Amino acid sequence: MNEQRRQILEMLAEGKITADEAERLIEALQREQPEAPPGAARRRKARPTYLRVVVNWQESTGGDGPGRVNVRVPLQLLRAGVRLTSLVPPQALTRVNAQLSRSGVPIDLTELRQRDIEDLIEQLDEVDIDVDDPEASVRVFCE
Amino acid sequence: MIPQLVTVRVRRSNGRRVRVYLPVLPVALLLSPLLLLAVLGGCVACLVFRIGPVGALRGAARVLWASPGTRFEVEQGRTAVLVSVR
Repeated sequence: MNEQRRQILEMLAEGKITADEAERLIEALQREQPEAPPGAARRRKARPTYLRVVVNWQESTGGDGPGRVNVRVPLQLLRAGVRLTSLVPPQALTRVNAQLSRSGVPIDLTELRQRDIEDLIEQLDEVDIDVDDPEASVRVFCE
Repeated sequence: MIPQLVTVRVRRSNGRRVRVYLPVLPVALLLSPLLLLAVLGGCVACLVFRIGPVGALRGAARVLWASPGTRFEVEQGRTAVLVSVR
């Protein structure tokens, strides 16, 4: 019970106001402070801090047995890594672009802006990739 | 926060296990003369490749600071490798 509602009820108990007046005051109070829907705080998701990659596979043909890869990388580390890309000299980017286009991947890395990559990382918390195969499964998600 | 402990665990196919715990700060202090040389070498490399040494140092420090919580775990049959940074 909040403080204003308590004051209204105390005034009613002391006989300073009538029941009708108290009701009107409480209604006015509710109009001023609409109550948050139940569970709203719970629904607000906590920001994830890690990117997880989990790969499981069954026994391979080599007979090495089943395998598992479990990688957990802090998103902060991704951001730091992205900032490092700004240090790549332009002449290196030009050479990488030339090699990429020669390999049939016409991507211009000089057009890739750091801000865009950071935005991409910001939106990673929504990512949930789940690949299921009879022999293997891959899951990429944030937690 | 700077990483405090790096744990490396290896399980070989014969079942033998190796666990290495590396306390980062004491090891860095112990290797500080070598680290200093490495930093100097890095600065020279930055100048050669026309990269700002200050920016590179800042970027490397950022990566180092962000690394706690990283965990790599690879398992195949009886062999396994785990690297964890705390």
